[in-house]
Amino acid sequence: MPAILVLDDSATMVMSLSRILKNAGYEVESASNGKEGMAKLAGGLKPSVILTDINMPQMDGIAFIKEARKAASTRFTPIIVLTTESGGQKRDEARAAGASAWLTKPTEPNELLTALKQLLPSK
Amino acid sequence: MLFDAEAGEYLVCAVLAAQVGELRGRIDTGATVELLWQTTDVLSQLSGLVAELAKRCSDSDPNLNEECNAAVAAEAEITRSLENLAFTQAQRNDFTCQTVDCVVTALERLAATDAPVGARLSPNDLAALYVSEDQRQVHDAATRQFAAAALRNGAERHKPEGSAQ
Repeated sequence: MPAILVLDDSATMVMSLSRILKNAGYEVESASNGKEGMAKLAGGLKPSVILTDINMPQMDGIAFIKEARKAASTRFTPIIVLTTESGGQKRDEARAAGASAWLTKPTEPNELLTALKQLLPSK
Repeated sequence: MLFDAEAGEYLVCAVLAAQVGELRGRIDTGATVELLWQTTDVLSQLSGLVAELAKRCSDSDPNLNEECNAAVAAEAEITRSLENLAFTQAQRNDFTCQTVDCVVTALERLAATDAPVGARLSPNDLAALYVSEDQRQVHDAATRQFAAAALRNGAERHKPEGSAQ
């Protein structure tokens, strides 16, 4: 079962995303900011895909993506950005940092699951 | 407690920041989202029972079996819609909370008594707090409205006495 790491500082969003992903058959790990997410990765978590918000305290999504790309275990892990930001400068920054896809809130569960399927490594 | 006019304005900003912060706590409870999840869970349980009933009565009562199957199909559709609604609601809550956070931060900076007036929060500082394009569009629209009003007021002030225009 593929594992997804979800990063969002909103507890409701984390619960909501976890529910959708678990119902779709994924394992879910979560973190409330980039720093916590990096700690989980350093602890040995090897997600198939990472789903991250941009605006988070302590370490935002873009800083997290940069750090995750430096780590050998997540250098090539697909990272989906899910954020209220619709694009512009932040989107360019995320892409430059190494984001694989960008979804703007509010999005539909189907749109999220489709993006995940497209990015999951085929077996 | 008496405050001079300037201190009074700092206080107003501090109080508004606290009021809006209080409001944020209520938004983030996600009660509506949780209720929607509970509803879908109960519906799924009931649907399981109806499916079981349909299986048991498939030979003895074909009509009931058909109705049960229709109910299970309807439940699946409603559950999917409710799950979508809960997800959308969670994202809207998130957006509202982030917008509220922006307002609270701005008001707290305006309430900072250790910074001189004019250096506490500029329009650009405010714009740097935004987390969505919607906020930037509202900012631009408000800025244009403000500029137009300022222009009108300036023209009013400089109007020759007695002018009707």
